[in-house]
Amino acid sequence: MITCEEFFAEFADYLEDQVSPEVRQELELHLAQCRACQVLYDTSLKTVKIVTESSSFELPHSVSDPIIDRVMAKLRTDRG
Amino acid sequence: MSFLSEARLEDRFEPFVAFQDALGFIPNLLQAQTLLPRVVEAQAMLERAVRLREGAIPRVQKERILLSIAADRQDTYCMALDSSVLSSLGSSHGQIDDLLNDYRNADLSAADVASLQFCLKLSRHAPSLCWEDIEALRTCGFGDESIFEVVVVTALAVYRCVLSMGLGPEPDFEPRKLPSMRIDQPRGPAPHGLLPDAHQGAQRKGPYVPAPYLSAKTFAPFAVIQKSHGFIPNFFRAQTLRPDLLEAQLEAVDRILLPKDALTRVQKECILLAVSAANLNSYCVAIHCNMLRGSGMPSEDGDQIAVDHHESNLPDPDKALLDFAVKLGTRGSDISSEDVVKLKTLGFTEEQILECVVVTAFNNFANTVQMGLGIEPDFAPPPVFEKNKVHLSSGAVTPMQVDGAVRLVDTLRDADAQLVAQAQGGSLEAFEELVRRHTQLIYRTLMAILGNPTDSQDAMQDTLLNAFKHIRGFQGRSKFSTWLVSIARNTALLHLRGRRNVESLDQSDYEEDGDFRPRQVRAWQDDPEQCHSKSEIRQLVERGLLQLPAKYRVVVILRDIQQLSADEVSRQLGLSVPAVKTRLLRGRLMMREWLSPHFTVSTKGAVQ
Repeated sequence: MITCEEFFAEFADYLEDQVSPEVRQELELHLAQCRACQVLYDTSLKTVKIVTESSSFELPHSVSDPIIDRVMAKLRTDRG
Repeated sequence: MSFLSEARLEDRFEPFVAFQDALGFIPNLLQAQTLLPRVVEAQAMLERAVRLREGAIPRVQKERILLSIAADRQDTYCMALDSSVLSSLGSSHGQIDDLLNDYRNADLSAADVASLQFCLKLSRHAPSLCWEDIEALRTCGFGDESIFEVVVVTALAVYRCVLSMGLGPEPDFEPRKLPSMRIDQPRGPAPHGLLPDAHQGAQRKGPYVPAPYLSAKTFAPFAVIQKSHGFIPNFFRAQTLRPDLLEAQLEAVDRILLPKDALTRVQKECILLAVSAANLNSYCVAIHCNMLRGSGMPSEDGDQIAVDHHESNLPDPDKALLDFAVKLGTRGSDISSEDVVKLKTLGFTEEQILECVVVTAFNNFANTVQMGLGIEPDFAPPPVFEKNKVHLSSGAVTPMQVDGAVRLVDTLRDADAQLVAQAQGGSLEAFEELVRRHTQLIYRTLMAILGNPTDSQDAMQDTLLNAFKHIRGFQGRSKFSTWLVSIARNTALLHLRGRRNVESLDQSDYEEDGDFRPRQVRAWQDDPEQCHSKSEIRQLVERGLLQLPAKYRVVVILRDIQQLSADEVSRQLGLSVPAVKTRLLRGRLMMREWLSPHFTVSTKGAVQ
């Protein structure tokens, strides 16, 4: 069976679902036996989901519109 | 004499001893490379592992493959050499003549005929190879290892032919006088309909042979690649069925591609990129675009070399070097000593020209292995390449012969293209529409770098003004949104200059973070988002992102929040895809530690 270190070496690609069937098989064999890596995998998946669905740093129109309007006004004035 | 000078090496030079033992003489093809003993070693290692060592298919069949491909490519040097070797292994002159003329008359077993048919297709029309060809071999009794060997022997044959065409060694033997005219089989591109259609989703993909799992811990060469490349390309992962053949290739990489004493690493990557593109190998195009990006070349410059290096920003001598490499790699029999003289007059040394030939040969080796084993891509090829591939292969005799120069701006599919053209013509309405389309992307890029809303809103205004000021300079060599992000990034970096303790975005990942391990955290609730309101979670995530080091924050925001592809982020930040992946994982794991106290099983649900 592979070690936790070997599991972690493939972890980035596994999280993105980008490993070959042979590698996946090894990783899943390890996961079935290793509680620590199970938690790592599960909490990482949940992290990605939470971060992705958070809509963080979305600029509301109430803020972005005045900025764009100011810029466009300046460009129109510059043009004369 | 060959096209280049030769150096006198000791008779005890190890590769020479090996050839003396195996063949009874030292082929002139090796003598022609003695200016760089390391490339002689590379060839010797490949030949020993692929050709001379006992394997899954008999030695005599390997020699037949080498001879048939040499004959198919009209390579008189290799034809003479391989005929003599086959003869020394006991093949009759009659059979050798038949192989030179038409292998189907050479009185071979059905399995041998099938393998020659396969090898010639792989050598000639590699992009048209598919599962049916592999299945044809399997029905003739070929197992995984035999198929693997057939592919790698073909790659070796291609490698030797490119070397001999590029170096022009004197034949070791009198070429055999052929009793009749060779029946010329059609050359050039595959007939219509044979090229795989990139949009046929249902088509069964590779890899064609299984690849048992090997890790950097158990297979030392992988640890070396991990260190030199930052990741292990599928090209190597897909070959773990035969660690012996894989190791020989890695030794060759080490001697051909890594040294910097003749050509630079960037020059070699450009050769690999341009020749792979000419061979329509989108796997290798994607890899080498990324390698160039990782070495600091802007992504659009690499894309341009893949499409047409004449239109790139490379200096003229380097363009001539690529002309030579592409000609050698796609129609080597047209190479003459004049091509070599031309490179010399442009200032290239003999060592550099030799290395260019060897890099081109190794490129075609790698292209052949990739196509022959159906190795899956690590990255997306440049968007323009896919489109051009279809265009280039549909009628041109050689892939790179197209009418006029190909510019990225003509071929790039960008939904913004029309508005950009109007804005460049001075339409403020078109510019405003473009800006509104990309407001979130710009703002998030600024937040990612500056880390606070007030500064980001100020910088947003400057970004828009800068974008308008420079929009006429946008040449369409990248997507408009990519260009816009680079304007935002530069504007943000200018804002940062006023601050103390600026965090660098460009720090390398490999040195400082080599031993990063995630900290243990406790298990989380099944549905962690249930206990918190959407706005609570958003605040929590935003606070977490703001405390990340900037270089991780940028990648997490663009990739996970703005949901751009790894390739897109890599282009926008001028990083290789592997570097983006490394930073993304690091950033995600830091976010995981930040979020953990709020979502562990024992927590009763309040955001602290």
